[in-house]
Formats: sequence, C-alpha cells, structure tokens
Amino acid sequence: MKKRKIDISNLQPLIALFLMAVAMTILSENFATKDNLFNVARQISVNVCISVGMTMVILTGGIDLSVGSILAFTGAIAAGLFKNGIEMQGMNLYIGMTLFGVIWIALAAGAFLGWFNGFMITKFKVPPFVATLAMLTIARGLTMLYTKGFPITQLGDQFNYIGTGWFLGMPMPVWISIFVVSLAAFFMNKTRTGRYIYAIGGNERAALLSGIKVNKVKVVVYMIAGMLCAIAGLLVTARLDSAQPNAGGGYELDSIAAVVIGGTSLSGGKGSIIGTVIGAGIIGVLNNGLVLLNVSPFWQQVIKGFVILLAVVIDKFNTKGE
Amino acid sequence: MKSKKLILCIIGLLIISQFIFSCSKSNNNVKKIAVVISTLNNPWFVVLGETAKKRAVELGYETVIFDSQNNPSKETEHFDNIIASGYKAILFNPTDAKGSVANVKAAKKAGIPVFCMDREIDANDVAVAQILSDNYSGCVLLGQYFVKKLNGKGNYVELLGLVGDNNTWNRSKGFHSVVDNYPDLKMVAQQTGEFDRNKAMEVMESMLQAHQNIDAVFCGNDAMAMGAYQAVRAAGKEGEIMVFGFDGAADVVDAIREGKIEATGMQFPKTMAKTAAEYADKYINGERNFQQKIPVAVELVTKENVGNYVAFGKAE
Repeated sequence: MKKRKIDISNLQPLIALFLMAVAMTILSENFATKDNLFNVARQISVNVCISVGMTMVILTGGIDLSVGSILAFTGAIAAGLFKNGIEMQGMNLYIGMTLFGVIWIALAAGAFLGWFNGFMITKFKVPPFVATLAMLTIARGLTMLYTKGFPITQLGDQFNYIGTGWFLGMPMPVWISIFVVSLAAFFMNKTRTGRYIYAIGGNERAALLSGIKVNKVKVVVYMIAGMLCAIAGLLVTARLDSAQPNAGGGYELDSIAAVVIGGTSLSGGKGSIIGTVIGAGIIGVLNNGLVLLNVSPFWQQVIKGFVILLAVVIDKFNTKGE
Repeated sequence: MKSKKLILCIIGLLIISQFIFSCSKSNNNVKKIAVVISTLNNPWFVVLGETAKKRAVELGYETVIFDSQNNPSKETEHFDNIIASGYKAILFNPTDAKGSVANVKAAKKAGIPVFCMDREIDANDVAVAQILSDNYSGCVLLGQYFVKKLNGKGNYVELLGLVGDNNTWNRSKGFHSVVDNYPDLKMVAQQTGEFDRNKAMEVMESMLQAHQNIDAVFCGNDAMAMGAYQAVRAAGKEGEIMVFGFDGAADVVDAIREGKIEATGMQFPKTMAKTAAEYADKYINGERNFQQKIPVAVELVTKENVGNYVAFGKAE
C-alpha cells in the first residue's frame, strides 16, 4: 500500500513533464532534436546536483538557502588552487595541485560548510532558515575575499573537461548528475540513514523517541548538501572556463522550485529524489523552450512563476483526494 | 554552567568589539573621502572603486569604500553614515539614476560634495560633477563596426543585460540606431543574459538550437560575450559566429587578440575614478567651477588596435 502511494506522487510531475515536452515538440521543430535534448540535460545537471541535496534537507523539515554561495566558494577554491597552487613565499615553497587534488579539496570545503550549517542547527537550535541564510552571506563573503571580486579564468582543457567534455556519447555533466542521482536514490531507499531522513521529517519527536540519532542524521544531511553544491560548483566553473565570484546567485530558489514541483512537501517527510529530478527537468524544459520560442524576457518570469504555482496546486489537489 | 558560557561569550564579544573599535578610530587631522559603489560583485566596479580609493589616498585622504550591493536602500544607509561621520566628499557610483537622487540631495544639504562616476543621476543641480561613460555613443561605434564586419547583411541575435537597468537600454539603443538602418541585417532573437556569464551561455545554447544560421551575436557586456563565446565554441561554430561585447574586461581583451571575439567597447573606469578623486581634492581646496557632465568616450577595440589596450583602459 505504502509503496503504491509513492508511485502515484511520482507520476504527477512526470505527466506534467511529458505534456510540456509534447507541447514544445509541436511548437518548435528545434526542441526534440538530439542536440537540444542533450543541451537541456546539460543545463539542468547543475540544478539536479544541488536539488538532490536540497531534497534531503527539505525531507528532514529543513531548508538550505546557502547553496548558491557554497557553489561559488567551492568553485572559486577549486579554480584558484588548480590555476595558482599554494605559494608560501616565506618558506619559498610552492605546492601545485592536480585536478583530482582540487576536486577533493572542493568536496571537503563543501562538506565543511554544510557541516557548519548542521552544527549550528542541531547544537545551537538555530532555525535552518536562519542558519543557512547566515551561511549564504558568509560563504559569499569568503568567495569575494578569496577572489578579490575578480573571476578566475582560463583554467585549461583538463579542468574544463568536467563541464564541456563528452564520454561515451553523452556530455560529462549529464554523467555526473546521473551518478549523483543513482547514488542518492540508493542512499535514500536502501540504507538505514536514508529511511531515518524520512522518519525525522515525518515526525521528529517520534523519531527521537524511537532511538534515531536525529541530530547526527541532520548534520550528515547538510554535509551531503554541501558536497553536492561543491560538485555543482565544479560543473559551473568548468562549463564557463571561469569561477565567477557572483556565480550561483538565486540558485536556492531554482532548486527549491525543483524540489517542490517534484512533489516533495516543504514540511518534510514526503517526497523523492526522482520527483526532484523531474522537477528540475520541468524547469529546464521551460527555460529552454521559452528561449526557443523567443518569448520576451519579461513574460518568461511571469510564466515560470505560474508554472511553479500550478505544479504545487495540482499536487495539493491530488493528495487531498486520496 | 549556562551562565558561565554566557559570560565567556560576552567577554569574547567585548574583546572583538574593542578590536574593531580601535581599528576604525581615525586620526582627526586626516580628511576623509567616501567611495560609494553600486556593487562590488562585478570586477568592473571593483576596478572603479579601487582606483578611486587609490587616487584619493595618493592625494592624502583617508578613504573608505562602501558597497551598496545594487540596493538603493543600502545606499541610503551608507549616505546616512557618511553624513554622520564627517566625510569631506563622496565619490559616487549610483545604483539607480532616479532612486539615488534623494541620497545626493541629502549629502548636498549636509554640505558634502558628491561626484558621480560612470552612472548618472537624474538631476543636474545636486551633484558637483558627473563623470560619465558614454554608453550610447560607444554602442553606435560598435554598431558601425558590426555592420562593416557583416557587410550589411545576415542574421544576428542580441543578448541584453538586466532589463531593468538604464545602461542595458542605452547600449541596445545605440547599437540599434545604426544597425536597424540595414534591412538585410535581421535580428532573429533578442533575449536577456542578465549581464551574467552563465546565464548568457545557457540562453545562447538554446538560441543556437532555435536558429541554425546565426552570423553574429551582440552582447550588452563582456561577461555575456564570454558566455556566448563558450556556447558557440561548444556547439562547434567557432569562426562561423562573430561575438561582440562591451566593457573592456581582461578576458575579452585577450579573446580579441586571439581572434575569438570580434570587438568590444572599451570603457575607462580608471580614468573616471581618477578624475572624480582629483575633482574632489580641488573642491576641498576651494575650487567651485565644475562642468556638470563630463562624458568619457568609449573606444572601439578590435583585432587591429587591440595592442593599444589592456583590461579596463589603454596600455601605458
């Protein structure tokens, strides 16, 4: 019974995505081409990575507003270290960085900022909205300090391969997001910690009383979210061949939209990773389609807002009916 | 236990505040100049602000940069603080032509002269002088070069900046004042890249799918030109589609040298910032005779003359 319910809530956004894709195919002959579909897949891969983490956070009943800033910070750190290495003039020492080295450092930096979010939320009982709002400006400020306000560019083909390369006929960012999604779906459905995340969001007190280490799980969730932002940061940086100090502004809204459109409840406990991926797909198709149809930029914003509303209203309507 | 922690916290805060206080305590004999910049989230404005500060310091002033974060109400707070703490002049890059007028009026009322840099305010009698980048004429030059490169015919797309920003439309209008006279030059799409490299790349990727035969793209700033170039390159159309930018940013100057980007409009933030600082110094020393608007010409940078330029200005 419970299994069936999850399937139904997954179906809703999928139908919406399908209808949109059909409509776009009719309206624009350039939509359903192989090139363009890869294009859309590549464009949503950044949002998918962020939104997978956001889904977990929202499932616990929290929220993460700091994703865009963490993305910018980790991207800048990776680009800066890869390009310039670490120079210690006092000791006449220069440490160069390999690509794998900077990837690990970026992931660790993302995990650390996420840990700090989780620590503030669980240890000092700062509401997630406030703790991550603070991190939004802290991480942005750190990015500005590190880059001095200038983009770090010309990173070379090796680094850019992460964002612009192809592997077995598919763009690298698409592979990376498929990997992230499969891992996350497995984690959420097949591991004990994954089930605990649902339990905490469903009823935190009950979870606590049944012996789940709620705080520990929450910290882990924010750390995962931070690491996924780091992956997204590497993707954005590699795609642009540039770490922009103002990268990722407004990404928290895109990813919350993807999560909500995908049928995850903002009050926690109910939702799925796959739903979020479909939500990100809907936003991606919309962004791409409105440009293909050359809709005026003013109207695009209005239309996007209404689509978010519509998705949530339909979802609410359906859950009430059950 | 709890109270012990609290006391420790308070002591910590006191120590920190002491530190900050002692840092910001200023020598009363030194005259102070404030630099208020619309946003430090963009290298172009960082250069504008840092150059203004540097020149003011050279002229013997203590100088502080304030970041308005593109937010007119934050700008108002900065002005309140500046007026309250006895600055002698403000070198000002407004967030909004209309929204910033009240701030400048307040400073004038308090006897603090304001010198606008790069962006203008919608009033001719409140700032002492306005040293402005001539966006419109710069884009007329770019438009003329654009027509020449395309031999007056072809399909092009335009990437606008933020659609709520004056400069976006000044640049677009300047460009179209020339290009629209050529009926064989067709604009097949006009979209916004929000002055952002990533956004511009994604929009360009989609436009490349929608239109198979684009010959050129005109971008309202250099960040968008770099983004558009990345999209063109990824689509394997490098060399087929000409990219035009505006600003004179470092990577675009390099890209023009390498033939990746056709042209940009070079603005001179350093010249504007230095002039503003020098005017402020003259004002403080008694000079009162200033022209209200001083336009700083934007120069066309192409492969032919790129050797004369570096990022944000002329090669020395």
